[in-house]
Amino acid sequence: MLLTVVILLPVAAAAVLLTVPRLTGSTATWVWVVASLAELVLIAWMWLRFDPGTGAAGVTGGLGYEVDVQWIPTVDAGYHVGVDGLSLPLLGLTAVLFLACAIWSLRQSDRPRMHAAAFLFLETACVGAFAALDLILFFVFFDLTIVAMYFVIAGWGHGNARRSALKFFIYTFIGSLALLIGFIGLFLGGETRTFDMVALAQNPPLTDSPVAGGLVLLAIGIGLGIKTPVFPFHTWLPDAHTDAPAAGSAILAGVLLKLGTYGFIRIAMPILPDAWQRWAMVPVVIGVISVLWGALAALAQKDVKRMIAYTSVNHMGYVLLGLGAAGLAADADPQARAVATVGAVYQMVSHGLLTGALFLLAGILWSRGRSYAFNEWGGLARPAPVFAALLAVAAFGSLGLPGFASFIAEFQVFTGALQAAPVATITAVLGILITAGLFLNTLQRLLTGTTVVPDDRTDTDTDLTEPADAVAGGATATLARPRRDQQMTDVTAREVLAIAPLLILAVLLGLFPRLLLDVIEPAAVMVTDLVSR
Amino acid sequence: MSSEGQEALQLLPEMILLFGAVGALLLGLWTPQDRQWRVRLVVIIACLGSAIATVPSLGGPTERVFDDAWVIDGTTGVVRLLVALTVAGIAALASPSLSGHPRETEAYVLMLLGGLGAIALAAGGDLLLLVAAYLLASVPLYALAGFTKDARGTEAALKYYLMGALVGVLMLVGIASLVLATGATSYPDVAEALPTAPAPLVAVGVLGVLAGVGFKAGAVPMHFWLPDVTAGTTPAMAAYITTIPKIGAVAAAFRLVAEPFATSTLNVTLLVAVIAVASMTLGNLAAFNQTEVLRLLAYSSISQVGYLFMVVAVAARSDLGVPALATYLAGYAVTNVGAFAAAAAASQARTLADWATTIRGQRWLVAGLVVCLLGLVGTPPTAVFVGKLAVFSAAWDGGLAWLVVIAAINTVASLFYYLRWIAAAVQPDPVRPDPQSAPNGGGIAVDQQVLRGPMTTVYIAAVMSVLLGIGSSVWLTVALPR
Amino acid sequence: MTAGPGVLIALIVLPAAVGIALLLTGRRGDRWAAPAAVITTVVALAGAGIVLADRPRTSLPFLGLVDGGDLRFDVDGLSAALVGLVAVISLLVTWFAAADLPPEAARGRFFGFFLLFIAGMYATVTAATVPALLLAWEVMGATSYALIGYRWQEPGKLTAGTRAFLTTRAGDLGLYVAAGATLAGTGGLVLGDLPTAEGGWQHVAAAGVLVAALGKSAQLPFSAWLSGAMQGPSAVSALLHSATMVAAGGYLLLRVQPLLEATGWAAAAAAWSGALTALVLGAIAVAQRDLKQLLAASTAAQIGFVVLAAGTGAVAGGSAQLVAHAAVKAALFVAAGAWLTSLGTKQLAGLRGAARRHRGIGAAASVAALALGGIPPLSLWATKEQVLAGTDGTILRVVGFAASAMSAVYAARMLTVLLARPTGGEPLDAEEPGTRRVPVAVTVVALVLALFAAGLGVLAWPPVAEAFDDVVGAAGAAPGLSELLLGGLLALASFAASFLILRARPALVQSLEDSPLGRWVGLGHLLSARPALAVARAVAVVDDRVVDRAVMGAARVVRRAASYVAQADGRIVDGAVRATARGFRWAGGVARRPQTGLVHQYYVQVAAGLGFLLVLLLVVR
Repeated sequence: MLLTVVILLPVAAAAVLLTVPRLTGSTATWVWVVASLAELVLIAWMWLRFDPGTGAAGVTGGLGYEVDVQWIPTVDAGYHVGVDGLSLPLLGLTAVLFLACAIWSLRQSDRPRMHAAAFLFLETACVGAFAALDLILFFVFFDLTIVAMYFVIAGWGHGNARRSALKFFIYTFIGSLALLIGFIGLFLGGETRTFDMVALAQNPPLTDSPVAGGLVLLAIGIGLGIKTPVFPFHTWLPDAHTDAPAAGSAILAGVLLKLGTYGFIRIAMPILPDAWQRWAMVPVVIGVISVLWGALAALAQKDVKRMIAYTSVNHMGYVLLGLGAAGLAADADPQARAVATVGAVYQMVSHGLLTGALFLLAGILWSRGRSYAFNEWGGLARPAPVFAALLAVAAFGSLGLPGFASFIAEFQVFTGALQAAPVATITAVLGILITAGLFLNTLQRLLTGTTVVPDDRTDTDTDLTEPADAVAGGATATLARPRRDQQMTDVTAREVLAIAPLLILAVLLGLFPRLLLDVIEPAAVMVTDLVSR
Repeated sequence: MSSEGQEALQLLPEMILLFGAVGALLLGLWTPQDRQWRVRLVVIIACLGSAIATVPSLGGPTERVFDDAWVIDGTTGVVRLLVALTVAGIAALASPSLSGHPRETEAYVLMLLGGLGAIALAAGGDLLLLVAAYLLASVPLYALAGFTKDARGTEAALKYYLMGALVGVLMLVGIASLVLATGATSYPDVAEALPTAPAPLVAVGVLGVLAGVGFKAGAVPMHFWLPDVTAGTTPAMAAYITTIPKIGAVAAAFRLVAEPFATSTLNVTLLVAVIAVASMTLGNLAAFNQTEVLRLLAYSSISQVGYLFMVVAVAARSDLGVPALATYLAGYAVTNVGAFAAAAAASQARTLADWATTIRGQRWLVAGLVVCLLGLVGTPPTAVFVGKLAVFSAAWDGGLAWLVVIAAINTVASLFYYLRWIAAAVQPDPVRPDPQSAPNGGGIAVDQQVLRGPMTTVYIAAVMSVLLGIGSSVWLTVALPR
Repeated sequence: MTAGPGVLIALIVLPAAVGIALLLTGRRGDRWAAPAAVITTVVALAGAGIVLADRPRTSLPFLGLVDGGDLRFDVDGLSAALVGLVAVISLLVTWFAAADLPPEAARGRFFGFFLLFIAGMYATVTAATVPALLLAWEVMGATSYALIGYRWQEPGKLTAGTRAFLTTRAGDLGLYVAAGATLAGTGGLVLGDLPTAEGGWQHVAAAGVLVAALGKSAQLPFSAWLSGAMQGPSAVSALLHSATMVAAGGYLLLRVQPLLEATGWAAAAAAWSGALTALVLGAIAVAQRDLKQLLAASTAAQIGFVVLAAGTGAVAGGSAQLVAHAAVKAALFVAAGAWLTSLGTKQLAGLRGAARRHRGIGAAASVAALALGGIPPLSLWATKEQVLAGTDGTILRVVGFAASAMSAVYAARMLTVLLARPTGGEPLDAEEPGTRRVPVAVTVVALVLALFAAGLGVLAWPPVAEAFDDVVGAAGAAPGLSELLLGGLLALASFAASFLILRARPALVQSLEDSPLGRWVGLGHLLSARPALAVARAVAVVDDRVVDRAVMGAARVVRRAASYVAQADGRIVDGAVRATARGFRWAGGVARRPQTGLVHQYYVQVAAGLGFLLVLLLVVR
């Protein structure tokens, strides 16, 4: 019951927003802040009351706050939700990121009501997707996130927002349909026809027909791979990010991408163990390609936001590497594979926090100068030391420095995956070197040297002042402007309040990983066992 | 009471519709022009009555009354409910455009009769009854299509009639050859005799009969009338023409494939599957660059028939068929009516741009439209999504996985044009067009207001489509209790 | 003692905590930064004392699932020696930094990273599991980046930091791989289990550790970053290049010496790379114009002996060398820093007679330099002989002796300049305006360090050496008296020869460095020193032009590849998507053509369509 409240609370708040006419201006955003704060508190409460259990638990048992109501009787699809060690961390991440974005948007002046409502709706979709234990329910929320994000990008984006939003919608919608086909395949493949994840994981379908299993896995893999995104399905990501508003980017990269990887570990691996084992090398290879490709592409970007977007491809690649390695049951002992799985899950959380922070920081650039172009910014450490410090911390976190959550993730992915896939892993390790290079390069270009900021910068630190202004800003965003050495205002208290917690969390989870691992490890072990059936 | 009487009692819902029509006609004769709302009331009451009368029969065993001519089973029950309720809804929707119209009464009566025809199509258990139902479902619609009596309307009605005539002939030919081949007209007898019948005759027969129902459903290649008629008449009428007969026709096709043709040696499944593919693909592609609201909806309804025919194709093969049909039909009816209602809300606006400018500022109307269109795409948790899910499952279960893949690709394609309308509607208005210097699009738009009635219909449809999606279990337990 | 574990954790956590606190306070903390740092290091020294007394082992929860996932810190003999070393040196250098930093500098940031770095070193030398080691290891690398790039406002400083971090991290990749190999080979992540790793994993782990260590301690081919690292403040150099950072690589190899031995090839590889580095970098050192550059090169060379020791199994000698070198090099860097502040230059040309300008510093520097040259009875003489005593294989031994001779040469090179009588015409203030004064604190620090540098010579005395071996818990092959004498004589000879020659011909070096003719001129006279200088010149060029370029070149290649990737990304992958969309639009146009609006054409199409379907129905059964 509590979980259902958690899922529906944001959308309820959205409904209140839209129906009560007096909630305009910043009041609307305050509603959002309060709602997501309540959400965070509730999830924290669930976390405290949740017992991860010792030894293998989760996925097929030991689920907390389970609710199972029949929905579509003919195909046995139900409203089946619950939390375990896989979903709980991501639920927490979702709540934290949405709260950060809410605080960030406090000065939102372009249709704040609709803005807050859209995000609240999106929050419900995300939370629901992570809590879903039924394929169709998962798909429902999965699709709703696409719809909501489409409106966020199209409505509040800048630059070529409409086109990017359409590209995002179409691209990810294709993915979701592939996913649906795969789910139907699972439904028809099982001897007891059901869409219930737990039941399917307990006795997996299509065990006797490798070809069908492979095809179904292919469909699901494409669907989730587009969302993740992995090479070569990632090209929607940079565009969507460049034209999305800062908060939108933070959510898109921080939460929505996780739906893909989460789907792999929650659905593909436990429900199609044979196929996953047989084809485990494919995710491994694709993961490695994504790692290198994303890192190299990021290195070559001339636009801060695109750069960050490509690093997301790189970081998601590690996740795939870990999960793929977990499937190579023949080549590695379960312990190592479990470690890799843990690392993959941890990477989802750490990437969410750090990339969310990075995108919000990029949003500061936009709000100050309406530009993300590297060559229009420089020497910002002098006028904006706090901004510089935050950016530096986020960058080092993102390049996987020990002491940050990302290290816990990548270290475990590498150590766990090496035995199963030595060559691939050793190749992938190069990724952290390239990432280090590109982030240090970024710091150098943005923070040091002579101070340079785009010329006609508007003094407001709100995202958009007027819709018309938005169009203007978008139109001129791509134009190169004459440089002039002038001051840039440092981060405001609101921005710090939005960004700093993410980084603090990233450090806490880097120094005291038990906070998360105690929950993740049992479930990860369980998944590893299920895969190696 | 005599068995005849009892059998007649089985047809109570149809009776009510019929009497409602007659009563409305008589009442209309004695009611002054400005009081015609009474007639509407009678019609709506008749519809609701018929729907209520249906309820007791639901879930009962399959019965064939009037020596197998009329089948009462789950499919029939679903169609009865849907048609009755939808007709009521459309009657309400049409009221603004009809009220004060000299032939208002006739319109409502024709709607009732057309609905009756649709139910007859679905319930028909005998080829001859099928013909009668075909005519009953067609003739009133010819009149309705040309109801406005303007140039476009008349042309539309004429085309509709001519196509109907052609296909009607083909259908008769088909039935004739079936009778020749099997010597029977009632479905069970036909089914019995079909395996031994000469293939060419059977082929002609199957094709002819399916052509008939396909025409009513607007399936390729019998779809040509649909865009022209839809574009030619008023949105309300278009909603009726693209919804009511489709429901009946698809149900009829389902019954045909499930009962008589199931035993045939011919690959009827493949035939229907091909028709489905052709319909969805052509409908989607043709709607791609469509700028006219009504034409876009017309093509979208063609593509929707394609998805519906998927389940028809596997009617005899999968036990998931009937619930899938029930879910999808219900979802389609509600959502389609909602979309047309959105068009009706700004009935003067022909193009998407005009429509967008006209409803500028109506946030809730836009929201409703978005729900309906995304519903037609099949976005969860709307009714059509549940229907699509069921249909896909059924088709795959019936061994047509390839068809499912094609349908999925088509769904993506359909997204393009639905999103074009949504994008036009939701965009933050660039500059409010002022009456003087407005471009032609804005010029039409600004001087006319948005109609309240249709807007409410949109809201209801949107809410219904979501509720039907979330509460599909409720709907199924009502329509197909077992 | 039960306090031990707690103290050990405090030893690591306290500096880190204070450092982070200072970083968070930013410029507001500048006033308190220096005192806080000094106090912290004093407390740390006390803590280190306790830790040395009872060798605690402790563990903090970190990763799970596998044995050794936790952060485990053990203090065995080797660790104990290093902990003591780090404690002493860090205290002295921090003190020096407090005195040396200009008052207006951002001291909060400086000492914050400084303490963080020290904490990293403490953790590194006590780490017993791979996660603990890697954590400390990389934190050290990152803070070194911040410290080297401390004056980011000045162009080029941060670049040097970046190069340092990237080079060391390139090495660290090896440690990541080694971690995986450890898990795969031993089923756990405990460093001690490494030698027992099964099968090929043992070799993978050894290779990874080797690469990581060579990168950290700037052995060939990773030496380039060391000269860039000289961009940092003197105090940073004094810390990084004496007891920490570069020392860490040597320490790690000593720690995993059993693994190297178990693999066989790894030990040899370590020995050879150490010996060669000692020789080559020594030669480079001779040809430097810049005192700090000379010291940097000599650092790599001296650590080379440690690596050599790790390769040959002379763990005791190696750790002794590590300790002695730390004291020596810290003293020299302190002196160099003091001169830089006072005279405003670190060019040898400008430092002519610097030792005479500030007596205290001069004395300290001279003693340290003599020790660096391996002159008996000073520290490095003893330790180096200990290391070389362990070497077997004549070639290796010869290279080792050549290297130690080389160290005498660059020591001489340094002292000839420092001790020369100043002409008054030295180009001062070449880099920054000098203050012409050296704080007392700095002198004291330098003298104390010099004292260590000299005093550790007692390690040559067998009883002491054995005692130290017991501490370290590894019995090294003790050099016989003859070896000691021989080595001492060799060092003295080469030192004296080069000293006299360079003294007699002060212009020689200049001309050698500047003009290609110089070689000619010096030809007949420099019997002992000339070949060394010639090799040095050549190698110096190679080092600048090749080894360094290689890094830059690699970076350039990567960047080019990246741009290709980006293009391909835009054109091909994304292009495919767009093409699909175009195709759909075109098809959309086609699909509407049948809708002509003419009924007779509709009839035809219907007939055609149905005809097709009929054929289908009849043909396909």
